[in-house]
Parts: sequence; structure tokens; C-alpha cells
Amino acid sequence: MPLWTLRGLRRGVVTTRYPARPDASAQLLPTPPAFRPEVLTPDLADRLVAVCPSRALARDGDMLVFYVGACTACGRCRAEAPEAAGASGEFELATTAREHLIKRIPLAGRPT
Amino acid sequence: MTGQGTTELTVQENAEELRRTVTRLFGRSLHIRTLDTGSCASCEQEIRLLAAPHYDLHRLGFFFTPAPRHADLLMVTGPMVRAFENAARKTYDAIPDPKIVVATGACALGGVYQPDPFTHGGVGETLPVDVWIPGCPPSPLALLQGLLVAVGRLADKVKDLDFTLNGTPQ
Repeated sequence: MPLWTLRGLRRGVVTTRYPARPDASAQLLPTPPAFRPEVLTPDLADRLVAVCPSRALARDGDMLVFYVGACTACGRCRAEAPEAAGASGEFELATTAREHLIKRIPLAGRPT
Repeated sequence: MTGQGTTELTVQENAEELRRTVTRLFGRSLHIRTLDTGSCASCEQEIRLLAAPHYDLHRLGFFFTPAPRHADLLMVTGPMVRAFENAARKTYDAIPDPKIVVATGACALGGVYQPDPFTHGGVGETLPVDVWIPGCPPSPLALLQGLLVAVGRLADKVKDLDFTLNGTPQ
């Protein structure tokens, strides 16, 4: 019998209580980034767009357009600019409309 | 203000009606057919984990079925390679109405591959998608939430998120 099954039996419950209660393992999941608009300059936004391997980021004038559906949570934007991008911690991202996954994040300052 | 209140009530009533309909149609038992349209199999790995003891999706009334005729929900992974388009349509047609299509993973949502002669770069233009589950791959918890959103048992949470951080860097 695998060790984790014994551990689960000892603790009484093997199965997660999600969705009735939050699951502790959710904190360990890689999650899409969230951005700080106040430090997100247009130049920095262009760098983040260039570094995104799955084209989840795009620049539209003075907005950063983030298509959450395309994000693979690889963390390259967070590595490129830790001051401007951090983990969102959100994993409950399912939606009934694709438009809900397109987020427009205002940039700091004017576009160059 | 009165007019706005009436509109909100109507929307709420519609939402409630839809919830009742979905619950009536699919009840507490819903059968899932998975369809791989060219994924790297990470999504399949996570979907398979849903049946493992830790997630145990059977407790929520979801079951996997290999037969499209027995399925209520089509869970599509991969970027819909053009070679698979015909098979995907046939699978969709073989599922009896009412049916739900769930696009699963970044490929299916049009993230990783661009449209080219080999792939559509997403399932959206081939099949009528009802629920979108982002993630590369989506974790079993995310899939579970997606399935519960599909049957109206959990709310669509992401529409209210703005993906901005406030406060000091972590």
C-alpha cells in the first residue's frame, strides 16, 4: 500500500474537501501572474510581451492586454520583472465566456 | 433606479432558471467523454488524476465514459490539429443533446499554437465551447472547478478578477 494512503487513513480522510472547503495543495500550484500597474511602464510592458512564450501578453496603446487563457504560468514575466509581476494565486479560472479571460491592465505613464 | 433594479431581477431570474434547467437536465450525474486533439498529454494526465482517491470526482456525480453516445460533456484538450477536425465533429455530433463542450488547457484556448496549415490553434472555431478552463496543464482542482462551473454548481469567479497586485512586492 502506498505510503500516502496510510497517511490518509491515519488522518481519517484521503479525499480533498474541495469545493466545500479550500484545498491546502492549491497554494502550491503555479498560477498566472498579476501585475502592478503603478510600476508597469510602457517599456517594461514591451519587455514582458517579448518574453512571453505563449503570446498571452500584448500591448494595446497604454494598456497591457493579458489573455489568461493563453498563459502557461511559466513565470518568465515574473523572472523578467519581479517588481511588476507576481503570482496571482488564482487557480479557479474556469469561465463560461472567453471574454472574461481577457484582462486589460493600465500602464503607468504615457506610451512611448 | 427602479428600472435598473427590475433588470437585475430579470437577470437573476434568468440565471436561476438556467441553474434549475441544468440541474434538472444533468442532475447529479454527468458523464464525461475526453477528446485529445493533439495535446501533449499533460492535460490528459491531470484529467486522469481526477479519478484518483484524492480528488475522487465520482463523489460529485461526474463519471468518465469512453462512448460519446453515453456522454453529456465533451472535454476537449489540445489545439485542434486539422487532421483531427473531422473526428472531433463526429464525436460532437454523436453526443446526444443537451451537451456541454469544455475547452481544457492553454492549447485548446488558443494560447500556445497559432493557426497554421497543421492546426487551428484552439478548439473555439471548430466546436461550440461552453466552458473554458485555462492552465498549462489545468490542475485537477482547476478542472474540478471547471466541471462545477459547467453544471452551474460553482460561480464563474475569474470575470471579477483584474489580475493586478496592490501593496508591496512579495
